[in-house]
Amino acid sequence: MTLEDYLKQDAERYPDKVAVICGNERLTYAQLWQRVQEKADELSASEALRCIPFKAIQTIDFLIIYLSIHLSGRVAVPLEKNIPESRYNEIAGRLTACEVPEGIADILFTTGTTGQSKGVMISHRTIVADAENLIAGQGFSHDLTFVVHGPLNHIGSLSKMWPVILLGGTLHILDGLKDANVFFQAFEPEGKYATFFVPANIRFLLSFDAKRFAALADCLDFIESGGAPLSHADMLQLCQLLPHTRLYNTYASTETGIIATYDFNDGECLAGCLGRPMPHSRVIITPKGLISCQGDTLMSGYLGDPELTATVLRDDTVYMSDYGHIDEKGRLHIGGRENDVINVGGYKVAPTEVEDVAMSVPGIKDCICISAEHPIMGRALKLLVVMAEDAVFSKRTIARYLAERLEPYKVPQLYEQVDAIARTYNGKINRKYYLVS
Amino acid sequence: MKEKIRTLLEDALPLVDFDSDFLFSELDSLGITTILMTLSDAFGIQLEAVDATPRNLKTLDSIVAMVERKLGSEE
Repeated sequence: MTLEDYLKQDAERYPDKVAVICGNERLTYAQLWQRVQEKADELSASEALRCIPFKAIQTIDFLIIYLSIHLSGRVAVPLEKNIPESRYNEIAGRLTACEVPEGIADILFTTGTTGQSKGVMISHRTIVADAENLIAGQGFSHDLTFVVHGPLNHIGSLSKMWPVILLGGTLHILDGLKDANVFFQAFEPEGKYATFFVPANIRFLLSFDAKRFAALADCLDFIESGGAPLSHADMLQLCQLLPHTRLYNTYASTETGIIATYDFNDGECLAGCLGRPMPHSRVIITPKGLISCQGDTLMSGYLGDPELTATVLRDDTVYMSDYGHIDEKGRLHIGGRENDVINVGGYKVAPTEVEDVAMSVPGIKDCICISAEHPIMGRALKLLVVMAEDAVFSKRTIARYLAERLEPYKVPQLYEQVDAIARTYNGKINRKYYLVS
Repeated sequence: MKEKIRTLLEDALPLVDFDSDFLFSELDSLGITTILMTLSDAFGIQLEAVDATPRNLKTLDSIVAMVERKLGSEE
């Protein structure tokens, strides 16, 4: 069965159950299924191509477009809502030129180690396996309302829609978390809720809204935190604030799907622990100590790039760049990363891509993009720049130049002028020097 | 006061146009958090998420007014 088969089944079983809420709009399962069918019919009657790119706006329309693309037999390609036009056109061109295998439901774009964006192909089978993993691993249920506020083109938020539909639950879509008042209005005391946060969201609520956050203790069934590691101090504070809520750290990526999850509100509250693999997944640690994953949640490959696919996906196994180990209880623990990719709130950024664009900023003579501590985000991108003799350092000018050419999450938050960039004996940037310092 | 706040916030959020009349709609959650954190630290005032309303963060002038109110009430 596909996600859309489950949606049809929900519409038959629970026609009047609220399927989705966004602002003042809400649709029952019967209404959602009808809207999805109508849109799918429109697409079938049109000359729309097999792969359909669209911007992931936080509305009910997103859900309708996404599901109707699947229902019409096409492939959904949700892209970041603020994606620069040049990038959108580049991706649209690649979608037309490349062959997409049968059975593919989605293509999600993520950054590679070289900065070239990679189209991760995800099958209908994978979507259902991810959903079943989340249901078994975290206890999604029919009476649950999942509040989703993160970008729906990212696996972290998109994947939560899947178990909700499988079980006929309710999805409440919010446009980000910037208006905390709107966020808290989504919860009613008698309800049963869950939500997904990146660490910066949790820092925000703990720092500026701890009282209202604590008041959700009885109606928050569980929270999943993902994207980047949550600090241990925040984990402990969350456990105190929400003593009965299940608090999950999860190992997941676009390439592997949802693999393992750990409820750190278990009395142990182990930092770096990501729990046991879920029913459709297996985790194996390679002789080098790196995490590799098997099972039905794996991607089908990278769009139009079998060679790149083979570097990651071989023998039905996805090989990751994260170091890890499995403890005596079978729980996965994560260490650092093998390559230079920087994780910023769940988005992977290749520093070379940022540096390549920064080097074209007038007046910049040399630069390096590194991961630095940030009071809210935990880790953030920092650009160290060497200016030409007659040039003036202006972080505002540099940031705006980069923002015109890169996706927002690739634009560094922090900037510093330095005298020189450390290089190795053969002239390459000495990244290890900055990692240590 | 206004220029001090502008300098602080432009330094913390170099991409944001603080001359905008629709500042709130141009900010993301990280931007909101950064504003609250920067102003709390710089002025020793207690800001909470409930203060981060579209009205309070509509323009630089409305941010200045919010800081002045907080300073007044905490005197």
